[in-house]
Amino acid sequence: MSEVSRSGPHKALLAFYALFTLAAGARALVQLVTQYDEAPVAYWLSLAAAVTYALGWYAIREASAGNTGFASVMLWIELAGVLTVGTLSLVRSEWFPDASVWSGYGIGYGFVPLALPVAGLLWLRREKRR
Amino acid sequence: MPSLSTQVTWIVVGYAALVAVLAVVTAVRHHERPSWLDQMVWMLELLLVVRALIGLGAFSGDGPDSMSTYVGYLVSSVCVLPIAMQSIREDRAVWSSVVVAVVAVAVGVIAVRLEMTA
Repeated sequence: MSEVSRSGPHKALLAFYALFTLAAGARALVQLVTQYDEAPVAYWLSLAAAVTYALGWYAIREASAGNTGFASVMLWIELAGVLTVGTLSLVRSEWFPDASVWSGYGIGYGFVPLALPVAGLLWLRREKRR
Repeated sequence: MPSLSTQVTWIVVGYAALVAVLAVVTAVRHHERPSWLDQMVWMLELLLVVRALIGLGAFSGDGPDSMSTYVGYLVSSVCVLPIAMQSIREDRAVWSSVVVAVVAVAVGVIAVRLEMTA
């Protein structure tokens, strides 16, 4: 437990991942429940983003305790998700009558969704060298 | 004259920005998280509670356009800071100030979104 609670950059990453799990999850649930027909694909992708952030939070917490295996898979999945959804939202805009969390590579969230997996992977690389 | 809720929202946003800047400055100077920063966070929490109480007024009359969105912002605006402070309760190292900066910006954004959805 003391390993998990040691300080470092992962504390800031965990705060971001917790906030984005909340933001993406609440947004996806509200939109899926109240306006499902407007843009179901975009809303399901928002829910997928929320699940990704929840798993990312867990992965980073595990990695900070020395178990980097899950994080080195999960953070790449997250990066691939942001890039795929971001690109689709631009080239297949008809699938996105309403925005998803990762639309435009997370432009609605100041591109933080694009920066997060990159920052996470950089942190993880340093963590593995420890 | 903007409404009371708008005025309080701007106070919250300004104060949250101040907390974020001071937290970043503390971290950049590699100081431990000072207790005055914690006190400023709890002051910010107090402002958010005041804003949330005023925000309850939006339920009178027609209510907000999207009730669930509004309630989501209302609840998270007061919950985020205590949860974050709990996560760094025994951690006063440099990166704990960065956590303060992150959540201070987050509640500032939440306060603006709360105002927009009322």
